[in-house]
Amino acid sequence: MTAPVAVASPPAAPVGATIAVDRVSKWLGPVVALSDVSFSIGPGVTALLGPNGAGKSTLLRILCGLTSPSQGSVRVLGANPRTDLGLRRHLGLVAQQEALFEQLRAFDIVALSAGLHEVADRDVAARGALGLVDLDPDDARPVRTYSKGMRQRVKVAAAMVHNPTVVVLDEPLEGLDPRQRLRMIELFVQLGAQGRTVLVSSHVLDEVERFGSQVLVLAKGRLAASGDFREIRDLMDERPHRLRLRSSDARRLAAALMAGGSVVGTHLESAESVLVDTTTVGAFRRAVARAAAAEGVRLLEVTPLDDDLDSVFRYLVGR
Amino acid sequence: MTLVYRLLLRSLVSRARVVALVAIGLVGVLIALAIRAADLVEADRTVAITRDLLGGYGLNLVVPVTALVFASAAFGDPTDDRTMVYLWLTPLPRWRLVAAGWAAALTVAAPVAVLPVVLAAALAGADGRLVGAAAAGAALATMGYTAVFLGLGLLVRRALAWGLAYVLIWELAVARISKGAARLSVSVYSRSVLSAVGEVVKPRNAAAVSTSLIVLGLVILAATALTTRVLARADVA
Repeated sequence: MTAPVAVASPPAAPVGATIAVDRVSKWLGPVVALSDVSFSIGPGVTALLGPNGAGKSTLLRILCGLTSPSQGSVRVLGANPRTDLGLRRHLGLVAQQEALFEQLRAFDIVALSAGLHEVADRDVAARGALGLVDLDPDDARPVRTYSKGMRQRVKVAAAMVHNPTVVVLDEPLEGLDPRQRLRMIELFVQLGAQGRTVLVSSHVLDEVERFGSQVLVLAKGRLAASGDFREIRDLMDERPHRLRLRSSDARRLAAALMAGGSVVGTHLESAESVLVDTTTVGAFRRAVARAAAAEGVRLLEVTPLDDDLDSVFRYLVGR
Repeated sequence: MTLVYRLLLRSLVSRARVVALVAIGLVGVLIALAIRAADLVEADRTVAITRDLLGGYGLNLVVPVTALVFASAAFGDPTDDRTMVYLWLTPLPRWRLVAAGWAAALTVAAPVAVLPVVLAAALAGADGRLVGAAAAGAALATMGYTAVFLGLGLLVRRALAWGLAYVLIWELAVARISKGAARLSVSVYSRSVLSAVGEVVKPRNAAAVSTSLIVLGLVILAATALTTRVLARADVA
């Protein structure tokens, strides 16, 4: 059981859309990193979901002003993140890259971030931010000796030290152990509940489910879906699924399933193996056990063939 | 700004960098010792050789190379190791970051570049005036080159190669041949100060001391303004 995370409240709770992205495209040479992406999000946790190379980091960099869009416009708290320097007092970023000031201690790095954001009492702020992520402010070791998970937590502390209203986190759970993941997810949820806008990117579906949040799905540089996580999950479950069934009599089982209407197609591989296509995974899983029992067929194995994240995203993009 | 200055200064001072550049400076000191050991009969000949050493080796090689190494690294190192993102996200105006970068590069480059030149002048047997002129010329050149090379680390990946090409092609070749190009040469103005203050023979295309000071000041202002613009428009990884 972890102790409750104590986070200072943000300066002012913004109302309505805090991040507005309007028809943003970004070309990196001949590569289209983002294509005509539009959305707006408000306070609370929003997960940015997509496979590697989907354009998540590019989008987050644009939101923080680290690069400009080739086309379209972005407003964060009503300001242009590329040109309005004052916005950076209200913006915290955990960048994807591992880079840190290797020779410095965690406390020095977080205090440095506080100083760069013109926080009045840097030491107090740094101690508070390190406490949020369970790191010892008095640790004398330089961060080059830290594990990947500890470095990730230093980055989160550095991004939170100036008490930002908008927090952007690029794959912040990478490298964390399960306990720290839970702790960090709890922190993000609490930040969102306080009225901050928290945008977290991830390529892991289960991770995003735990945020219990709004979701933006990005694939191949396009916004493939957006909305409540449950809606996205349902959408993903409704796509056609292909499974391999191994049983004592594949032909008899396939015929029973077709007759029952829980599959839309079958392909017999051998006497023991059949591929089936279904659009209702939940109903199919219940039907297959019933059909096997009714036909006196021994069901040996059910293997989903396209449950990996890439195929889910391919489906969403191709809809 | 002090925080950014300290941060950049700390990243600039690497042992390998300082040792390599001090070694280049020490070659000039050794040449100066050789001049003194030669014990030339003609005093004018000694002055001429010393002047050539200070202008040729000191202001044309030691100073620009030292300034190039440190200035291009001021923003080049954070860009390469991807810590630039932390600097970029500060709400501080970009010109203050550039000013901090220039000050940090100058803090390291000045002693490494100017001291060997002054030491070489003194050891070669130059009088107090020429030693002072060497210090003034080297200091001004260091300030000018540091400002010029500051933005290079942001603009190009191989900043040292581009900077050396600039020194060799523009400063040491084109500016010597063309009077028009000489008006845009840090080397010509710093050597003009050296010759005027030290009362030695003027370099080709020399300018007056007042002109040299004004132009070097303008070069520093223009270069930092350009670097500020480049920094503000940079894509940060």
